[in-house]
Amino acid sequence: MRVIVDRDRCEGNARCVLAAPEVFELRSDDQSYVLIEHPGEDLRPKVEEAARFCPRQAISLIEE
Amino acid sequence: MAQVSSLRIEDVDLANLDVFVQGRQHEIWRRLRAEEPIHWNPGNDRFIPFWSVTKYADLIAVSRDTTTYSSQQGISMAANPADPTTTVGAGKMMIITDPPRHVRLRRLVNKGFTPRATALLEPSVREITRKIIDDVAPRGSCDFVTDVAALLPLAVICEMMGIPQEDWPMMFELTNQGLGSEDPEYQTVPGSGPETAARSRREMFAYFARQAEERRRERRDDLVSVLVESDVDGESLSEEELLFFCQLLILAGNETTRNAISGGLLALFEHPEQRARLQHNPALLTTAVEEILRWTSPVAHMMRYVTRDTVLGGQPLRAGERVLLWYPSANRDEDVFPNANQFDVGRTPNEHIAFGIGEHFCLGASFARLELRVMFEMLLARLPDIAPAGPVDRLRSGFIGGIKHMPVQFTPQPASV
Ligand code: HEM
Ligand code: SF4
Repeated sequence: MRVIVDRDRCEGNARCVLAAPEVFELRSDDQSYVLIEHPGEDLRPKVEEAARFCPRQAISLIEE
Repeated sequence: MAQVSSLRIEDVDLANLDVFVQGRQHEIWRRLRAEEPIHWNPGNDRFIPFWSVTKYADLIAVSRDTTTYSSQQGISMAANPADPTTTVGAGKMMIITDPPRHVRLRRLVNKGFTPRATALLEPSVREITRKIIDDVAPRGSCDFVTDVAALLPLAVICEMMGIPQEDWPMMFELTNQGLGSEDPEYQTVPGSGPETAARSRREMFAYFARQAEERRRERRDDLVSVLVESDVDGESLSEEELLFFCQLLILAGNETTRNAISGGLLALFEHPEQRARLQHNPALLTTAVEEILRWTSPVAHMMRYVTRDTVLGGQPLRAGERVLLWYPSANRDEDVFPNANQFDVGRTPNEHIAFGIGEHFCLGASFARLELRVMFEMLLARLPDIAPAGPVDRLRSGFIGGIKHMPVQFTPQPASV
């Protein structure tokens, strides 16, 4: 699984950081950065929660 | 469980605005969620027919699929694609614009609304709130809506846009007429909602055209200047787009937050045990604000236009039909929120969708949250025994869950020093 944050959409609401702090980090430009681009299966539920609750639908999960 | 009600599904009519004045909408939505979650509502002399969407999961599915469900034919029940006067602004005002243009418009201003940018405003929001409460505190009673709740969002957005303070009362009137146009109290053209809204828009446009002109002569540090200098794909906004942008920022931020504040206080009045809990434990403020948003959901609906035949929650929909997303209903969906019909200031988790979701997710969500938190913190500290002093007067609208007047009383307090 690969995680991508769409720069055009992310507005720094940090819902993703709340759901999966291991994977997402909010930086000073108010954008979420992906710390682990290919998270393991153990993180899947958290990453899926991040994608589901991101209010701007900025997160995509790509199955590999 | 579900209350037995005498209401018959055949009699459900959310196009009859009496429902909202009488406060019967939740009873109707509860019934629809249980029996007919996607419900065909016939039209009347004011509104053309629509599908009511009442379940959380269906609202999210619609909000996420901007190809099947367009915002560009208007966003309220009053819009009628066959009558261009009801869909002005389509493709020009961000909230009535579909992708791909939508995101380009949004990027012009969204940096100013992020949680981080919002946090910088906190000192100024505290100062404004302190002044508002100072003005009423010695009086012992007031109209909570016009004297308190309405003033905070108005001041915040006007400051950001650089609108001089002497013009704030006029902006207040114009937003009332713009979003409360179906209510006789605000109609400047008696009996006509659309005409009242149109007149309010013309006056606002004339006003902002002058404001923009001033910024072109001399740049300032405000949102109107940002819009004047904007660059979307190498093009600047047309004058019309700029005016729609100003109107959207003023309208979207005012009426909504005002009603979350008034509706929130009303909820605390109606649930004294929850109020006591919050007053004894201010650490609950953050969850209380989210619960107030869930409970009041001041935007009652957004409309989407079905662009192609599709199926939603098992219900086939045809191209050309309209769906109304009833946010307050989704926010009390029993399948998502345990004890959905209980007001609980400590509720966690609370993934309400009072701000919508996806493409048009409320740009001002962080602003609104900040304003609510500061207001309830200061209000309950400064006027701890605030209590109702008469019945509330509800707005005649199926779009904004509004309270026009709400008399309150409290032990008079000196203004702060
Ligand atoms: C409690 C207060 C508020 C509520 C409940 C609320 C609710 C909403 C909702 C439901 C939408 C989504 C529309 C859709 O999906 O079609 C929206 C959009 C919007 N809101 Fe808010 N809002 C509030 C406060 C504010 C404030 C304070 C501002 C500005 C300062 C604001 C500015 C906007 C704007 C500009 C949009 C359009 C976004 C777009 O089209 O991309 N709102 N709001
Ligand atoms: S939740 Fe979405 S919008 Fe918010 S920071 Fe994360 S990716 Fe960005």
